Amino acid sequence: MPRLCENASIPLSPGDITASTLPLMPVEHAIRATGLTKRYGDFTAVDGIDFTVNRGESFGLLGPNGAGKSTTMRMIAAVASRSAGTMSVAGLDPEQNGPEVRARLGVIPQQDNLDEELSVRENIIMYGRYFGLPRRWLNAKTEELLEFAQLSHKATARVEDLSGGMKRRLTIARALVNEPEILLLDEPTTGLDPQARHILWDRLFRLRESGTTLVLTTHHMDEAEQLCERLIVVDEGRIMAEGSPAGLIRDHSTREVLELRFGMDRNQEQAQQLTALLSSGAASANGAAAADVGVGVGVGVGFSHVEVLPDRLLVYAGSAESALEQIHAAGLRPMTSLVRRSSLEDVFLRLTGRTLVD
Amino acid sequence: MSTDRLTADPELQQPVSQAADKQTMAGRARRFGALHQAERTLRSMRAYGTVILFSSVSQPIMYILAMGLGLGVLVGEGGDFAEYGASSYLMYIAPAILASTVAMAAGIEFTFPVMEGFKWRRLYYGAQASPLSPGQIASGHILAVSVRFGIHAAIFTVVLYLFGAISSPLGVLMIASAMLGGLAIGLPIMAYVSTLRDEKGQMSLIQRFVIMPLFLFSGTFYPLTNLPGFLQVLGWFSPIWHANELGRVLAFGQPSPAWLILLHVLYLLGITVAAWLATVRIFTRRLGLEEWRGRTPGAKADAKRQERLAVKDAADSTAPGGAAPDSTALPRIAFRRGFGANYYSGNIRAVFGRGLTAIRNNRGVIFLSGLLEPVLFLTSFGLGISPMIAGVDAEQVGLRGGGTISYAAFIAPALLAVSAMNGAIFDSTWNVFFKLKITKLYRTMMSTSLGPVDVAVGEICLALFRGGIYALGFIGVLLVGGLIDPLAAVLMWFTALFVALGFASVGMAVTSFMTRFQQMDWMMMVLMPMFLFSATLFPISVYPAGVQAFIQALPLWHAVELMRDIAFWDFSGLTLVHIGYYLVMIVVGLALTTYRMKKLFLR
Repeated sequence: MPRLCENASIPLSPGDITASTLPLMPVEHAIRATGLTKRYGDFTAVDGIDFTVNRGESFGLLGPNGAGKSTTMRMIAAVASRSAGTMSVAGLDPEQNGPEVRARLGVIPQQDNLDEELSVRENIIMYGRYFGLPRRWLNAKTEELLEFAQLSHKATARVEDLSGGMKRRLTIARALVNEPEILLLDEPTTGLDPQARHILWDRLFRLRESGTTLVLTTHHMDEAEQLCERLIVVDEGRIMAEGSPAGLIRDHSTREVLELRFGMDRNQEQAQQLTALLSSGAASANGAAAADVGVGVGVGVGFSHVEVLPDRLLVYAGSAESALEQIHAAGLRPMTSLVRRSSLEDVFLRLTGRTLVD
Repeated sequence: MSTDRLTADPELQQPVSQAADKQTMAGRARRFGALHQAERTLRSMRAYGTVILFSSVSQPIMYILAMGLGLGVLVGEGGDFAEYGASSYLMYIAPAILASTVAMAAGIEFTFPVMEGFKWRRLYYGAQASPLSPGQIASGHILAVSVRFGIHAAIFTVVLYLFGAISSPLGVLMIASAMLGGLAIGLPIMAYVSTLRDEKGQMSLIQRFVIMPLFLFSGTFYPLTNLPGFLQVLGWFSPIWHANELGRVLAFGQPSPAWLILLHVLYLLGITVAAWLATVRIFTRRLGLEEWRGRTPGAKADAKRQERLAVKDAADSTAPGGAAPDSTALPRIAFRRGFGANYYSGNIRAVFGRGLTAIRNNRGVIFLSGLLEPVLFLTSFGLGISPMIAGVDAEQVGLRGGGTISYAAFIAPALLAVSAMNGAIFDSTWNVFFKLKITKLYRTMMSTSLGPVDVAVGEICLALFRGGIYALGFIGVLLVGGLIDPLAAVLMWFTALFVALGFASVGMAVTSFMTRFQQMDWMMMVLMPMFLFSATLFPISVYPAGVQAFIQALPLWHAVELMRDIAFWDFSGLTLVHIGYYLVMIVVGLALTTYRMKKLFLR
């Protein structure tokens, strides 16, 4: 869908241009990839993508499992080679300067890989030692990080005695020990309960405020909306769209969504009926709008289209409430109905015809 | 109307699915539940079925060739064993080897899978949700393992018959006596393991402190009476000894009073039944309504460790400059530039330091248990075999100067070489495999500024550190026992490190190709014959020239010979060949390891 990509692309920031024309200036972008490609045999995991992450920005890669997000992250983190394309991380080529690039990164992998043989505090100290940091400095730094991760009371505990949320926070605290310029987070909150998630988001907000560049992958829409200033939507190794969460929703979806369930067998036929009803309704409402202000029914439905999912119908409309009233007025009786704001989930559905959650 | 027709027509009355009739299903589970569980366990064993079958066939052949024929030449034929009813040394040890291998298998099958069931994969909790009772889950596992023992013992017995190592048709009954021995040693262990909530090295402690001593002091390779009194007592308690003696009665009619035979049977049966009942009880406590979560072993030691850490941390943070304001800025992260900067960051220390911290956090007894093994071997073979051998002819083992040397002095340097190999192999294979595939520690390390060379070299240093301490302990024992002189001791310690470095670098390189546990089992099966054949327990000259040449191509033989050269102060051109062999191993191993690390982590 070239049209969509065109819509979504944003112009390069002035800083990028300066950096490329005047190499002596400090690099303004944290990461820049052009034509980035990764092939495993016949399978192409990442298919020639271009993106730039500015310093201090929080940038997201959104897509379903297997879209190539983690592979992209691994190439940024200098633990995977490129099949084609160029990449610069903090002005360096990760393939040529592995240790030096990784010294500037904090990596938070999808699954916690804490050192079970060490205590909580030792986990942070040893990780710092891997960067060659002096032990004395690490002792003080570790206290600060334990505080940040709300783990001071668990400092001498064994890792296996921690809860899932605590382990995740320790993983993040550990990745901060080298005061990274860029933090790479792969599915940071997957598998956490809502409370643990919110604690984590709060910590990440603080990092963002302190000027750390965040790059995160997620297949959770709410997470992307919460944490990312700008994101790319990835599917099958290609970029489908790029922009801010609000901008993407504005460009690719309506303001509101009406979710309806008519029962498994009836969804498809109802979809056609609804499209016919709301399209004509939208047309007549436009004419009657001036006269019927305040009545509600038929006013400004702003109908766009109907998506059919296996278990439910999604009606895209500027005002889902009005659409629902029209549907009721027409004598249709859905089993359940739900009015909600449009989310990135809807953007993804629109762009790929598929849902994100597997 | 339709319901009427249903009751009228017997054809339609049949339940739609097998699962529809809950009553029958529950009844079936009540009666055959243990068999269902046994079937599941046996099916899961199929994953390593080829390894089991292969070892059942190869183990007897290996032991017959190595111990029966090899050690047999040294021990001498006939006379000595006639009083026991055996016509050769091979015939004397054959039933005991069978019982011992079953006991070894019991040490595996009743430990790791049980821990897997309760903790690692929580398989028992899956079965708990079915109509099976906890007792049936326990019995199912025991039945499945018994079947595995039975198959192993049957194949083993057939091979022994083929080699003429069994003279009596009653020998077939050894299958039963060996199984019983396996259960008698395995079930108490299973009962213990099933009380554990956590595994903190207990499995390897059981191998080293229970199975090994019971095996070495159970009169497998010599009559128990060869040992001094107090070690004989250990043998009386060992189920392996009772199974050995029963096997000998059955295989070649070893003369035994009836009461003793009865005692053997009753002892084995008694332990088996009591431990079986105990296991069922513990399973019922853990998987039944009581929901007992099991004991946490070493909880007290853990609390102590935390306390110690807290004290140390407090000392660290009050140390001068600990939290001084000038130290808050990030110190420069140093990395090398220039040659190989992408693969080596010059920070091997951190990898080594992490290993030391991990060792310190584990229980010391586990670390020290590695010291015990060579000492046990030396005690068992030195004391047990020596009475049967006048001494080893120095000419026969290729030492100049002539005369005879004691059997203990003959095997001592070889056992040092073996322990150096074992230590290095264990650290560079199992431990590396775990960090590579299970805990993914290396991946974590590779997300920092470390390079693959730092990780590989750091881990090899750690293997050497452990091997060095074990060697030091064993050499100390040899010195005290007067088996070597102090100058040789110093040289032998360095040689042990040198040998360990060779095995560690090659072992790590090979491990980096492994993807599954079963492949690790295959690797272990290569090591076992190397130990048995490499002139460790008897001189290589007992073999025909072709076999000798093969053994001389194996690395362990070179290590054993090198150690003997030093111990007996008998150097020649061959000494240089041995050293050269290890230099090649080290260089090739390190190069390959580094290459593989790059491949694995910088794809």
